Amino acid sequence: MSAITTIAALPLLIIVLMTTLELGSLRVVAARARSAADLAVLVAVNDQDDGELQRSGTLVAAADAADVARTVFAANLDPLAPFLAATPADVAADAAIQVEPKPATVHLRVTVPVRTPLFGALFFHPITDVAVQANGGAR
Amino acid sequence: MRGESGLATLETTLMITILIPLLFAVIEFGDVFQRWLAQESATVQVARYAGELGGDAPEVRALLDGSLRSSGIDPSAATVDVTPARVGWREPLTVTVRTNAMVAIPFLFSAAIPLRTSAVVRGELAR
Repeated sequence: MSAITTIAALPLLIIVLMTTLELGSLRVVAARARSAADLAVLVAVNDQDDGELQRSGTLVAAADAADVARTVFAANLDPLAPFLAATPADVAADAAIQVEPKPATVHLRVTVPVRTPLFGALFFHPITDVAVQANGGAR
Repeated sequence: MRGESGLATLETTLMITILIPLLFAVIEFGDVFQRWLAQESATVQVARYAGELGGDAPEVRALLDGSLRSSGIDPSAATVDVTPARVGWREPLTVTVRTNAMVAIPFLFSAAIPLRTSAVVRGELAR
């Protein structure tokens, strides 16, 4: 009897296993996307206005800091491309990047669409949006 | 009585062959995810350091070895690429780390899953 119960419950057990794996994968992708955003902000904050630094000794964000953040973010998202529902370039293009020149501060906010096909098969959303936020300032 | 005992043994065997692989799959893949995150974190740290030093250097390798070892990953089994090996001020630098994570699930399979992590930064050393 217990063998029959186990076999009958097997599809449910497999679904639980697959959901666990998908959730684990989603968490890894989310962590890597956050890491990509952190790195992008860090590099952008280091993109100082050299002329201003030499003249006044103050750390002022360069004029292209937002572009730098976007480029580095896209480059770091690139290994995640198979897991994303949009291209890394499109995700980076949609990122809201705010640069405050003085003191040099960069804020990045983005929604990363991650493919979750198994959730889709289980009547949830096949794409899960992961909200990512990163902030950095020069000291 | 003898027949019932045999049936119970058969049922237990069936349950074990189904439930044990499921349990191990959760544990093993959880370990792979944890290892993937640890490797990612180590790669980012090392990329930042390589950017500050202007490229590949023994110190960069030593930092990666220490980070991987502290996460339970054998550094001697890792393949590391720092491209290009030497960068100037604000030039892009990519650090890629590749390892294999062993997954062994009883009664099903045993395989090495390749884990690849990379980080892109810019050179911060004015030569």
